[in-house]
Amino acid sequence: MDHTSTLEKVLRGVLITLVLVFFLFPIAWIFLMSLQTNETILRIPPSVVFTPIIDNYTALITGQLRTAAGSLQLNFMQNMFNSVLLSVCSVALSLLLGVPAAYAFARFKFRLGEDIAFTLLSFRFAPALLVLLPLSLYFKSMGLTNTYIGLIWVYQLICLPLILWIVRGYFEDISPDIEHAYRIAGNSWWKTFTRISIPLAKPGIAAAGLLAFIFAWNNFIFALILASADKQPVTVGALAFVTASGIQYGQIAAAIIISITPTLALALYAQRYLVEGLSMGAVKG
Amino acid sequence: MAELVLSKVDKIYRSRKGDVHAVRSLDLTVAPGEIVALLGASGCGKTSTLRMIAGFEEVTNGQIVLGGKPIHALPPAARGVAMAFEAYSLYPPLTIGENMSFALKASKLPQAEQNTRVKAMAEMLEIADILNRYPSSVSGGQQQRASLGRALVRDAGLYLLDEPMGQLEPQLRAVLRGRIKHYLREHKCTTILVTHDQTEANALADRIAVMEGGVLQQYATPAELKVRPANLFTGTFIGEPPMNVFSAEVKAVADMVRFDVEGGTTLSYPAAEISEPLRAKLARTPRVALGIRPHALHLGEGPVRGKVMACQWLGDQTHVAVEVGGRTVVSVSQERVSRQPGSDVSLAVAARDLHLFDPETGMAIAHGGSLA
Amino acid sequence: MSQLAIKSLSKSYKAFKVFEGLDLTADAGEIVVIFGGSGTGKTILLRLIAGVEEPTSGVIEIGGHDVADIAPEHRGVGMAFQNFALFPHMSAAENIATPLRAAGAAEDMVQSGVARVAKLLKIDHVLNHAPRELSNGQKQRTALARALAASPQILLLDDPLRNVDAKLRFEMRLELPRLLRQSGATVLYVTQDYKEAMALADRIAVLANGRFVQTAPPEDIYMRPATLGVARLFGDPSINTADTVIASDADGAHVMIGGRRLPIAPAHAARAGRAIILGVRPEAVELTEGDGLEAEVVAVTPLNERVVLLLQTPGGWEFLASFPATARVPEAGARVRTRFSEAGTHLFDRDTGERLDG
Repeated sequence: MDHTSTLEKVLRGVLITLVLVFFLFPIAWIFLMSLQTNETILRIPPSVVFTPIIDNYTALITGQLRTAAGSLQLNFMQNMFNSVLLSVCSVALSLLLGVPAAYAFARFKFRLGEDIAFTLLSFRFAPALLVLLPLSLYFKSMGLTNTYIGLIWVYQLICLPLILWIVRGYFEDISPDIEHAYRIAGNSWWKTFTRISIPLAKPGIAAAGLLAFIFAWNNFIFALILASADKQPVTVGALAFVTASGIQYGQIAAAIIISITPTLALALYAQRYLVEGLSMGAVKG
Repeated sequence: MAELVLSKVDKIYRSRKGDVHAVRSLDLTVAPGEIVALLGASGCGKTSTLRMIAGFEEVTNGQIVLGGKPIHALPPAARGVAMAFEAYSLYPPLTIGENMSFALKASKLPQAEQNTRVKAMAEMLEIADILNRYPSSVSGGQQQRASLGRALVRDAGLYLLDEPMGQLEPQLRAVLRGRIKHYLREHKCTTILVTHDQTEANALADRIAVMEGGVLQQYATPAELKVRPANLFTGTFIGEPPMNVFSAEVKAVADMVRFDVEGGTTLSYPAAEISEPLRAKLARTPRVALGIRPHALHLGEGPVRGKVMACQWLGDQTHVAVEVGGRTVVSVSQERVSRQPGSDVSLAVAARDLHLFDPETGMAIAHGGSLA
Repeated sequence: MSQLAIKSLSKSYKAFKVFEGLDLTADAGEIVVIFGGSGTGKTILLRLIAGVEEPTSGVIEIGGHDVADIAPEHRGVGMAFQNFALFPHMSAAENIATPLRAAGAAEDMVQSGVARVAKLLKIDHVLNHAPRELSNGQKQRTALARALAASPQILLLDDPLRNVDAKLRFEMRLELPRLLRQSGATVLYVTQDYKEAMALADRIAVLANGRFVQTAPPEDIYMRPATLGVARLFGDPSINTADTVIASDADGAHVMIGGRRLPIAPAHAARAGRAIILGVRPEAVELTEGDGLEAEVVAVTPLNERVVLLLQTPGGWEFLASFPATARVPEAGARVRTRFSEAGTHLFDRDTGERLDG
């Protein structure tokens, strides 16, 4: 029963504000930084009063970075393209492999089924570096180092377990009777899978795909070690701003703003799927 | 044992999509030691009412008084009510026995006394053999009985039972109904039972509150509900099979009262069988809704003619569906009768078995030849 | 030739045996009710016939052919589920159209087929609704319409009235036999409501303890139950029982009940000394002015349109008697004499529970 007093309401409001300030401040600050030169950023004491400039953004887009020490070539747009390509392709591949696998794990109780599913999840437990050393050696001998295919493959370590476990929960929530009813009505199992199971698990698939996309997008270590400059995503590309003449805070901030835009837009768009997906599918007991 | 009084209780669920008025101005008094059933279809407000009494829902307007003390603003634990949940709500880490004795722990009863009580309750509910098992390892019916036992074993001013026997098998349910009623009587437990099953309400309750659309339709003993339904809703809701209802025109001619029933049937009764005040009322009422219980519709000679649609013998009674003027009416015989589908039959109904309702408001006009 | 035949069908999950050695046949157009309590495997049996689960052993024949290797979509069965199992992302009309579309019917045939069953089941006004917008009764009718739409040879109905309210359940109980006859399908109907079973069945197959205990028309099941278990499952209130022993003397075969002699069919004389359970249906108990078993009325309770008396003999045997609500019955505390009509009195072996015929 709801017996809230006025004091409780006020306290609750204050707490929520504090939490919001704590979490949103960095983003706001980064945004302000991206509109300043290094000098105004680093002045002491700091101030929120400045003349906004868009030089940082133009530098990123044109690829020409002018610093005190001279001009520098930037690969940022290439990095951006790599990020999009790697994330989209690995999520697509993960969905292609993970959704049918999730269905199998949800519907068929086969020998070692649980163990296989758990093993897949356990890839997420190990620190990435542990996997990376042997992988980089294999990749070298297989000629996969610094290829998109190699990276997309490695990204499956991130995306596949996520999609598998979230979507599996969704498939388990669909009453088998609904599938049986469609089967008995005269449809093959494949048609049943594509016309009944997938549409009904759609919110889960969307949520899992989005999460996987965010995780893939934000990955740093795999690409740092397995790819060189022309295949690196923005997370790694940002290192280029640590130049001989100092750290280019303005450009880094602009790069961050540009690079979080796609995921932020996606996340906002699919927010309700996300919450549903996280709270219903995967956590189901 | 305490008296429960609900006065002018409203429950409104507010949401962005609009308000839902789940319970409307409900007045209900439950005498000390009385067993009352809240009966209605899903969404009629019975569960909201129970949850307000238990304290899980806020009362929008009105008040709830238990044993002379207003309780509607108290938190649930301070109300002194015991509740059995429809969804069982057993504590998973505790055994069935521990679940049942859980509420007794807080009481200052000696341990031995607690154990005896739990054991006796478990025996009554036939779950004594699973006291050491965990909820997840027993069937739904057993969990339900454990949940019921956990509520009944406590000393509370009021017992709230939400669909307490929905998951039980029919045979067991019949046995337990008797035992539970006996137990509640013996311990003088004031009890409110929520159910959608009228057989259960009839078997257990002293009085039944029939609800529909958040409104209390009638609050009366099971017998009264059957014989004198207050309106068309209770009339058709109570009784198995449900009452046959027709629209009819009234023709009160000198020494005969005639009902021209839809579909072309005419029912005529000597004026002597209809009370004087009712005849006066009927003279002013051109149309009525005519209710006839299936048990009062007798196969054999009679003015109602039709074709048999189905004839189903159920062991101790026969249900016959007859098509009369495009409508299906149901007649029940206490004997075994056999009629071929498609054959012609006649049906009769006595004046004392007629229920008349106002076709607009649905309010009862008359029962069995005299005014309601 | 039977339309559907089940031969020594068994199903088990690892060590757990659901049922074993089931035999059942159903003729074309026959309505066979599978009756049993929860957990007896009724639903599983339907699933095996539909082909969505595989039997552990045994044979299922549809139209004389073993269907072991035939996928569910090719078996020519329709099924309605207890939980309706409507496709939530399709309208009622699309739900009903599914089997017609799967059979490759032309669009106008699909439309007219949907319209026909929808009219039959009185849901033509809600065809455009999504399942979540339908009432329980409408959902149930939609599920039934979907099962009927493609006129399957075999119709499997899994307790379709379980989740609808009492009023509708009653209406459907009267309406279903005609609907099912019209469809011409061979029907297997699962229920745990004995009244539903008796009302709808041409034959009832009683499933208990993993086997069919009795398969017979409703009349036989009720009047000549094969075992005490079957007798207990049919009837409300349940049949009264008393432990006794068959005796025989110069006056013929009899049993002793409540210290009184109750004559039984002469044929039982050969079984003298056999320990039995006497079963007496509550509606077979009659009040008599003359000679009869003495009893005291303990309680009088109404049950639907009947009134039930709880009676106790001086020897302590408690039994129920059921009368029409219109009958004049004594009040609690009264002493009465009773006798049992022969048609509702049955003898069962105490060890096996099997019926002993006189």
